[in-house]
Amino acid sequence: MIVIGLLAGIVTGGVAYFIPWLPDQASTQAEDIDEVYWFVAIICAIIFALVAGVSIYAGWKFRAPADDMDDGSPIHGHTGLEIWWTAIPTVLVVAMAVWSAVALARAETLPDDPDEYTTIEVTAAQFAWSFTYPELERTEGELVLRVNEPVELLLTANDVIHAFWVPEFRMKQDAVPGIQTRTVITPTKEGSYDVICTELCGAGHAVMRAGVRVLSVEDYEAWVAEGEEGAEGGGEEGGEATGAEVFASAGCGSCHALADAGTEAEIGPDLDSVLDGRDEESILTSIVDPNAEISEGYQPDVMPPDYEDRLSEAELDALVAYLVETAGASR
Amino acid sequence: MSATVHAPAPRRTGIRRWTAGGWLRALWTTPLAFLLATGLVAGARAALGYEPLLAQQPYITTLMVLVPLGFLAGIGAFDYWVRYVSGRPTIPDDHANHGAHSWKDYFKVNTDHKVIGTQYVVTTVVFFIAGGLLAMFMRAELAEPGMQYVDPQAYNGLFSVHASLMIFLFIIPAFAGLGNYVIPLMIGAPDMAFPRLNALSFWLLPIAGLMMLSSYFIGAFGAGWTNYVPLAVQQPDGNLMFQMGVQWAGASSIMTALNFLVTIITMRAPGMTFWRMPLLVWANFATSTLVVIATPFIAGSQFFILFDRVLHTNFFDPGGGGYVIAYQHIFWFYSHPAVYIMMLPGFGIASEVISVFARKPIFGYRLMALSLMAILILGFSVWAHHMFVSGMADWLRVPMMVTTMVIAVPTGIKVFSWLATLWEGRIHFKTPMLFALGFVSMFVIGGLSGVYLGSVPIDIHVSDTYFVVAHIHYVLFGGSLFTIYAGFYYWFPKMTGRMYNETLGKLHFWLTFVGFNATFFPMHWIGTRGMPRRVADYDPMFGNWNLAISIASFALGASTLVFLYNMIVSWRRGEPAPGNPWRALTLEWQVSSPPPIFNFDEIPQVVGSPYEYGVRGARHAILNGKPVQEGREAAPMEETVP
Repeated sequence: MIVIGLLAGIVTGGVAYFIPWLPDQASTQAEDIDEVYWFVAIICAIIFALVAGVSIYAGWKFRAPADDMDDGSPIHGHTGLEIWWTAIPTVLVVAMAVWSAVALARAETLPDDPDEYTTIEVTAAQFAWSFTYPELERTEGELVLRVNEPVELLLTANDVIHAFWVPEFRMKQDAVPGIQTRTVITPTKEGSYDVICTELCGAGHAVMRAGVRVLSVEDYEAWVAEGEEGAEGGGEEGGEATGAEVFASAGCGSCHALADAGTEAEIGPDLDSVLDGRDEESILTSIVDPNAEISEGYQPDVMPPDYEDRLSEAELDALVAYLVETAGASR
Repeated sequence: MSATVHAPAPRRTGIRRWTAGGWLRALWTTPLAFLLATGLVAGARAALGYEPLLAQQPYITTLMVLVPLGFLAGIGAFDYWVRYVSGRPTIPDDHANHGAHSWKDYFKVNTDHKVIGTQYVVTTVVFFIAGGLLAMFMRAELAEPGMQYVDPQAYNGLFSVHASLMIFLFIIPAFAGLGNYVIPLMIGAPDMAFPRLNALSFWLLPIAGLMMLSSYFIGAFGAGWTNYVPLAVQQPDGNLMFQMGVQWAGASSIMTALNFLVTIITMRAPGMTFWRMPLLVWANFATSTLVVIATPFIAGSQFFILFDRVLHTNFFDPGGGGYVIAYQHIFWFYSHPAVYIMMLPGFGIASEVISVFARKPIFGYRLMALSLMAILILGFSVWAHHMFVSGMADWLRVPMMVTTMVIAVPTGIKVFSWLATLWEGRIHFKTPMLFALGFVSMFVIGGLSGVYLGSVPIDIHVSDTYFVVAHIHYVLFGGSLFTIYAGFYYWFPKMTGRMYNETLGKLHFWLTFVGFNATFFPMHWIGTRGMPRRVADYDPMFGNWNLAISIASFALGASTLVFLYNMIVSWRRGEPAPGNPWRALTLEWQVSSPPPIFNFDEIPQVVGSPYEYGVRGARHAILNGKPVQEGREAAPMEETVP
């Protein structure tokens, strides 16, 4: 039985050890969470090996011939054993719970000094993410972070529940309409990652993604400067968004392909073909009242009907002008 | 009581055939209810000056309340009560609707718990096949990245209807059906406490199932079986079909649970104390308590959404001051206990089967019963572990994590006791035993992945990913479905009076066991690596794994054909079954297969534990003057393998 138990243990351990179970670690939270993950994994592997070992051994050792009419030993129980297999699991679950609680507290801790971390406001809408950097007065369709600097993300949603998840950071948080939720990330590795929506949010759920870039201190400063220049170049305070920027920040590209913006999504119709030859008025109607006319092969009620509320008049005008120029009548 | 043969109801002729309860009457009462609903909605809206007269949402809602009632009135589900309420004479000992004399009786309102049990089992298998086919469509779409066969909204409809059918129309009622058949027999009762209520509970089921399936005609509900708001409010009108379907299935569930509770508390045979009850009876006692307390919460949660949609209330609409997360609390306050509603009866079945086929008393009987009650109580204190990343009150997470993990203790006691029951046994690997042992090993995996999900930091990473899909299927497929299969094979001889084919049964087990693991185990991996659940399209890096999973799932689907073939052919042409083919001690095996119309010609006298295998001179009950002891007096074990 010990041999079978060991074999089961080796198989389980091998499955746990040789398969790369977790994505890359790119945040301090990932380090905390992975420690708990492996602690729980070891305990679970031992318990599984025990159960598998005992059942395979018992099945082999105590099997009866087909014509056997005897009964087994009339064992009704064993108080000692029953106490042990109540007590040991209790101790184990308490250990796992304590470690989990400690890791959770560590993962969500921010420095006391507000200067040592940044706050970013995350807004989710069907089917796009937007990230507002209050200190920089910028809103972007991608999340840009400075390596090793903790960030506090304050999340909300415009329409239905969405969830923010970056597997490499391990952190996940629902974005809920009507309230603000919060999560903390301290990125430790430069690179590009994906924000994945993990809460079912409608037809575009599978493609509701955004980019995350973790930049070195120098690159981050360059990115900040680039934003300031853009704002100055606009010549006005804060800067008026161009049509291309609205296209990006409103998340149009999550569902629609548009060659000029370099997007290739297939949830909604390909704008390069369906907008061909259309004028400003008809494009505006399609944005604010998407069900007015549905392209062949697409469903009504997939595109959110509230862009008139989400975008300012200036933004709508800029967006329509951009679309007319790149895909519509004035192409 | 003597073995009276009750004659079937007299044949009616002429106009009477159309006014007596039955399908002919339902043929005109159902359209009548349809017209009534139409008139009611159109009339009320005309009086109030609303346009259009038949607005889709109020119209569908009214139809789904009145048409089922019209159908139920038509087939005669309310006849006795209407007669009683209206003061007309009733016939207290009218057994015209009791027992099956031909196959046609299975399609009527019948008050015999054995007929109802069979009706339940067959109906749930039909919905199981429907739900399984939806899963096959899903796996076809997922076999490669990108969109191939369905559009995203249709895909959302596939998994939503799949889960709803499997949970509300298969697992929960399949256990209710098996319990319906065997519990009165196990406790030595002639029937359930409320036979007419029992008949009504059954007939609500096909209504709920057809409602959920027919949502495809007006746009299937695609917000998942969890139906989270605000997405649920945005969904096409098929969402109403889910909300109303849950009401009908939930009502059925609650009525059956009340019936079980009263039956178990009041109708046990003399000498059948609680500590002499078979563990399946204990399990159904715990389950029924859960159902009665928890099910009204899901009914409430779906009514609130219905009101938000149809009446424009603001329970969950933040724009009107509603609170989105309140829905999740109410929903999971039912739906976590629902996991135990779908597990505890399976624990009971596994205990019966393992004890009988290991030829040993169940290990630690009292602790087995008490751990069921512990799970029942703890089960109400863990619901928010489904909401660790939802944005609910932060402080709730750690306490809910602790209670969640503590449930592993009574569950562990059960697993270790099943293993200890095997020790020094004489194990016969018949099909029910294979499924019961398959259940123990698969459920351990599902339980351990549950510990992962119970830990808040790990859950933050894996929640809403394929890891959760793997976990839920190890619990509900590896746990519930394996025990349902064990139960189907174990009681097949009792229910049909015929033996199933053992070779095909074993083939079915091994195909299912291998196919199940090949389908669901890799999902743990793709989930932790970063594949979210409920997506029709995914990162191409998961393409090969998804293709492998899809191929395995088709093999798993095909294994069901072996089961269906075995059940259908054996039911028609199998070897006649003796009264007690498994040499079991519980009371249902001490009567003929199938049992007499009122179960026991003589009330059994229970004198001991139901699991005294190998104990010299021990008896469970005295029946017909003969002791029930070790099953040696009964027919020898049937061997179908040459």
